[in-house]
Amino acid sequence: MRISFVVPTRNNARTLAACLGSIKAQTHPDVELLVIDNGSADGTPELAERFADKVEQFGPERSAQRNRGAYLSTGDVVVFIDSDMVLEPHVATEIERQFAAAPGTGALVIPERSFGEGFLARCRQLEKMLYVGDPAVESPRAFRRAVLDELGGWDEQLTAAEDWDLADRTREITTIGRVGAWIWHDEGRIQLRATFAKKRYYGRWIDQYVRMHADSSGDKFARTALLRHPGRLLRHPVLTAGLVTLKATEAAGLVLGIRDSRAAARS
Amino acid sequence: MRILVLNWRDLSHPAAGGAEVYTEQVLRRWAAAGHEVTLFAAAVAGRPAAELRDGYRVVRAGNRFTVYREARRWYERCGRGRFDIVVDETNTVPFLAHEWVDDARTVALVHQTCEEIWHHNAPPLVAHLGRLALEPRWLHRLASAPVLAVSESTRDALARFGARDVTVVPEGYEPPATLPDSAKEKVPTAVFCGRMVSYKRPYDVMRAHQLARREIPYLRLWMIGGGPLLDKLRAEAPAGVDFVGRVSERVKHDMMARAHVHLATSVREGWGLVVTEAAALGTPTIAYDVPGLRDSTFAAGGVVVPPSPEAMAHWITELLPGWQTRSFEPVPYGGAHSWDDVATTLFDAVSQRAA
Repeated sequence: MRISFVVPTRNNARTLAACLGSIKAQTHPDVELLVIDNGSADGTPELAERFADKVEQFGPERSAQRNRGAYLSTGDVVVFIDSDMVLEPHVATEIERQFAAAPGTGALVIPERSFGEGFLARCRQLEKMLYVGDPAVESPRAFRRAVLDELGGWDEQLTAAEDWDLADRTREITTIGRVGAWIWHDEGRIQLRATFAKKRYYGRWIDQYVRMHADSSGDKFARTALLRHPGRLLRHPVLTAGLVTLKATEAAGLVLGIRDSRAAARS
Repeated sequence: MRILVLNWRDLSHPAAGGAEVYTEQVLRRWAAAGHEVTLFAAAVAGRPAAELRDGYRVVRAGNRFTVYREARRWYERCGRGRFDIVVDETNTVPFLAHEWVDDARTVALVHQTCEEIWHHNAPPLVAHLGRLALEPRWLHRLASAPVLAVSESTRDALARFGARDVTVVPEGYEPPATLPDSAKEKVPTAVFCGRMVSYKRPYDVMRAHQLARREIPYLRLWMIGGGPLLDKLRAEAPAGVDFVGRVSERVKHDMMARAHVHLATSVREGWGLVVTEAAALGTPTIAYDVPGLRDSTFAAGGVVVPPSPEAMAHWITELLPGWQTRSFEPVPYGGAHSWDDVATTLFDAVSQRAA
């Protein structure tokens, strides 16, 4: 079973070497790596050339890049990885094992844990650990080719929440399983101001997603997983305080972003 | 060509490290190629103020703090008009030769920036002052000169401090004349090799080893190298960890060749030569994904992991069983270049880039 990894990039040189290196170091014997870049100016394509089987320029944004990668890939399974993720060496082997063991499963979730520099990155790490196993938050990354073709790929109208959208549509047509190896997600150094700005930008797109999925979107924003294990939060009171600050900043950004979107729609 | 190299230490200094080996290997080749080469470095107790070594001249004055001022004084007094090119080899503190040499071309050569290492090598307030005020100021002043960097990581770091004209030059390594022909160990064995100082993070290696032992019960760890933390670490050594202290090159090579995996956990390196060394001995590396280690590890065909002991333990447990059963050919020059190559390339870079 050939496993194709598709990585969309845009000025990601900081984290890219570790990401692509971890894909090339998979213990699985038949792995293909495609990097779809979107006009990077920081040496990303040159770096990608050193590792990838194919590097191509495509746009205008992430969903289109991923679809392009899936189209160019030749594997039986397509896995979508972001440039700030580092894969444990067994991920591809685990994907094959899960798909072989359950022929009815069309897509797989790969659990994530985060790492990074500084206090807020540790708060984020705690948050991500609480989400592990929560279907409202986790999205599948590995797809059988037939399933991906049936889904028609990623929705190129969406730039944020496109992973939830795809997860929702996947759940309607097939079963989603999960693998036992991890993705390590590089959060870098988290800064509140930058987090706020990013969420405000995403907020505009989230608004659109909510209108498209009026029925099921509520549980995604409630993030009930955060409160389902109060014991795990109480065990780390300082990190929890940091996490509350982080989530409050994000919520403020999202609310403002949604307001921006509505204001733009009215005018 | 008449070349002056400024470096804070020369190879006879008791604390000489990788940068000094690099300088010495290159300078003797330049001298052999017919160039007139002078190295200016800090004074060393018991060593003359000027001597000839391997065809090049070594001039010594000042200590680790005053060597920068002494270099400038010496140049005013004895150096003016006698050189075509001045190479400012920067170890955290630049000589800033481009600001005071007016009768020769200059170029800077940077092995690594200090940054996070300040917190490991200096007391807290000094470290903050150094990292946030001094080093950015020094590197900003250096940024207007042409700069050569020994790795892409160093080039990127210099770019963050405003340098625009940075050229990457190769790192060199000479494998031992006779490779140890020792077979791999029967017991799964990991090796760490480096000074036992906090910025090499020996505690992280030990922690990763302890976590990995849950999956690989007989995993052994050899810790090679001396240093201020050695006694403390040795006293705390858990089961399966052996500290051998500082050993001869021959013993070191033998142990590195017998191990199945080499682990590197520094905070930051210029190139991470120990990875190159392990690869030349046929031992693959799992290293933290940090500047410098990243460069040498990819060049040597190794694997980088997120900088945490948990990640390193995960990768060890997944990769080691496979690595135990397959054999790794020694990588030529460990992924670096021969010193002859380095000397030639560096000479071309110096003579082309100097301004």
